[in-house]
Amino acid sequence: MLFSAVRRIGATLFILAAVLLSQAVAQDLGKAPAGVIADQQEVITSLSAKVDALQKKMEASAEDDAGLVDIRLQLEQLSRELLQSGVAFRPRLTEINTRLEQLGKPPAEGQPPEPAVVTSERESLTAEKTEINAVLGVAENLSIRIDKLISQITEVRRDLFQNLLTKRYQINFALAFEVIDAFKTEMSDLYRTVSSWVRFVASFKLKSMLAATFFALAAAAVIIVGGRRMFGRMFEPDGRVEEPSYLSRLSVAFWSTLMQSAALVAFLGVTYYLFDYFEVLRGDIGAMLWSLFYVIAIVFFVSRLGMAVLSPRLPKWRLIPVESGAARWLMLLITATAFFTGLDYFLSSVYQVLGSPVALTVGEALTSTVVIGVLVILIGLVRPFVDEDGRPKPWPRLFRYIVLALGGVTIAAALLGYIGLARFVSQQIVVTGTILATMYIGFLSSQAINEEDAFIKTTVGRRIKRMFTLDDATLDQLGLVTSMVINLLVLIVGVPLILFTWGFQPGDMVTWLYRIGSGFQIGSFTFSPAGLLSGVLVFAIGYFVTRWFQGWLDGSVMARGKVDAGVRNSIRLAVGYAGVAIAGLIAVSAAGIDLSNLALVAGALSLGIGFGLQNVVSNFVSGLILLAERPFKVGDWIVAGQVSGTVKKISVRATEIETFQRQSVILPNSDLINSAVGNWTHRNKLGRVDIKVGVAYDSDVKRAHDVLLDIVRAHPMILKNPEPFVLFANFGTAALEFEIRFFLADVTGSNAVQNDIRFAILEAFEREHIDIPSTPRAHDIKPAEKWPADDEQAEALVAEVEEARNKRADEAAARRKPGRKKTDPE
Amino acid sequence: MMRMNRFLVAAGALFLAMSGAAHAASAVNLDAEPRTLIVTEGGSKTELALAAGETVEFCSNGCFVTMPNGDREALTGAETVEISGGVARIK
Repeated sequence: MLFSAVRRIGATLFILAAVLLSQAVAQDLGKAPAGVIADQQEVITSLSAKVDALQKKMEASAEDDAGLVDIRLQLEQLSRELLQSGVAFRPRLTEINTRLEQLGKPPAEGQPPEPAVVTSERESLTAEKTEINAVLGVAENLSIRIDKLISQITEVRRDLFQNLLTKRYQINFALAFEVIDAFKTEMSDLYRTVSSWVRFVASFKLKSMLAATFFALAAAAVIIVGGRRMFGRMFEPDGRVEEPSYLSRLSVAFWSTLMQSAALVAFLGVTYYLFDYFEVLRGDIGAMLWSLFYVIAIVFFVSRLGMAVLSPRLPKWRLIPVESGAARWLMLLITATAFFTGLDYFLSSVYQVLGSPVALTVGEALTSTVVIGVLVILIGLVRPFVDEDGRPKPWPRLFRYIVLALGGVTIAAALLGYIGLARFVSQQIVVTGTILATMYIGFLSSQAINEEDAFIKTTVGRRIKRMFTLDDATLDQLGLVTSMVINLLVLIVGVPLILFTWGFQPGDMVTWLYRIGSGFQIGSFTFSPAGLLSGVLVFAIGYFVTRWFQGWLDGSVMARGKVDAGVRNSIRLAVGYAGVAIAGLIAVSAAGIDLSNLALVAGALSLGIGFGLQNVVSNFVSGLILLAERPFKVGDWIVAGQVSGTVKKISVRATEIETFQRQSVILPNSDLINSAVGNWTHRNKLGRVDIKVGVAYDSDVKRAHDVLLDIVRAHPMILKNPEPFVLFANFGTAALEFEIRFFLADVTGSNAVQNDIRFAILEAFEREHIDIPSTPRAHDIKPAEKWPADDEQAEALVAEVEEARNKRADEAAARRKPGRKKTDPE
Repeated sequence: MMRMNRFLVAAGALFLAMSGAAHAASAVNLDAEPRTLIVTEGGSKTELALAAGETVEFCSNGCFVTMPNGDREALTGAETVEISGGVARIK
């Protein structure tokens, strides 16, 4: 009974709570639930309609490569929008799921039934969820469809390109006559079109056309004059210069090509734009004029570039050491190649506009591609260099073979009827070749700037030096950076240009960039250049913020707070370490590298670090202790083992000490922590100096003591308290030894004081006739005489020995005399 | 000082923008039995089987996912999907 009552009360309470809660939820997002689904359904329907439209467009422009790329970009955009609209359901879905969990599962059979409100709410929520799932299902299918379309576009484009290159035309004698006939009629067509346009312009649009031309010329003039003013001498080769440096030759080549081409492009571009704006152009003429301008710009650029590199007239300004004759010949060949390629391009667009027969296109392309092939082969056969004997030498082997092969392929393809291929190759030879040559010059110039002291000699370098008053080392580093930037620029500009001319559309490259930026997966590791770049950027920002904060703390806060220089240094260093460490950590996580992975690696490495990097780590920790404990600070005079000198810098691993002979000694921090370090200037610079003086034994000792004391008391630098003291230290072997002990406020300048005192002592002792005994130096010892003359006993001995010898001699003589007599018996 | 402030604000904004950069989504199965997600990415549907306790990275450029209990979700590629008790939660 009681039990059921409790249950009933509980149920009532639960219902109440449920009703209140559900009302609260309903109030929270009262209108939202229906809203989200309806909104997104609408979005998805519109996206679906757009996809339908794009699919139709795609089928219509199956032959148009650029159009297909455009469609693909739009499809990719749609795919992203679709995903966004799918994500828009998430908050509502999360809500529904949470609520459903709160409501719990429907009671199983046999359990007491739940209140009707709960059941109905669960049902409505489940229904809503089902609806959302259905909409998401539609979105999912649409995304599959979009992706399929995208891959279809890729396939179609591949086929298109392949068709262009592999389509074969019949080439025979009949074609020649056909071409000649068609050419005649087409040329008269062209003449009629152009002349009617000229008449139209002359009678109706003359003023606008003149104005347009004037403005275009003005734009070109601005570039030429402005360029000349800004870059002055770098603009044109100066024939009077004897030995122009490599860098100046390069910069002249670069600027003259760039400026003149830019001026021409500006002129053509402005002309076209203004013609278009004033409605001078008509449809067909517009297309032809556009391609004509395009061709003129390319041919002009190629010839300018050739002129700059080969410089046929001024051999000193040549970038490649080519013979003068060969330079002229090459110049001619290169310009002709560019001209014929341009002509082919222009004529093909004219035929397209006029709707000429295919035979004419084929015949004209055949002729021009064969001519271009021959020209390219001729370029390959030129012998531009000289060997040691002065005989002409051909191009380097690899370059020669590549050029000959390209020329050969062009001719062969054209003669075999593969006109598309031949045309493609010939255009690539000119355009890609030009871009490669320009890039090569760019790399060369960056290399030249990279060389030592090269940057300082450039005009820009001199200007920067004047403006910012930098020293040479900084400028040299700046040169290094400049060369890196030039390299990067060359790549950024050149590679897309080459890809562009090879038939990749800008859209392709955008897609690649997008894909590369968002990263790709290698195994379980996601590599994302954008992430890495952002990591590097975050670190750089963190580093600069730290530096700035350091400077601010040191310069404004601590300097004004009159903080001690050593403390300032410690705090500055600690802040620097902490800032860099934090910046590093943030950068690592911004780069998308999981810090927990890093922790694993660190755990594994810690053992290795414990052994291998023991010294480094101990030095680092010691450095931190030095900063915190501050047994000495920068500027202190310390004595550590054999080294005595001023502390210059306390860094992570080691401390730099400058001895008084100006030798820098780098002491590992752990040495400074583990062994005794003497610091003369720890709390203050007070220090005692001892000077020893010897006084002769027969001097007036009391007087000497007084004199010494007077001298030391009289010196202005010597402290009165603690009082100077003269110690009668010892009865030495040669002298009575005194020791003068005095204190200095700044012990670092003790040498001057010691000098003063010693001079004063000498003077005072001389005045007072007090001797300072010096140990007598040892005299030269003369070699001892053989016989001391005054030694009578020795003389007597010698006389005795002499006498004995004489006696023996006499006896011997006496014995010999009778013997002789014997041998002579008569 | 003014310029410094502006620089800091710009740096902060850049940092926020950077930290929002998308990486691959990951799915973790907290259940004791294997679960299967159906992932629609790049024009095809694939079944992504997750063993008990396994974590898998997938869907780097956005995708649609069907959860084990039949719920559908769209992912942009920065989320973590947690499966427990056959129900998926997105964080």
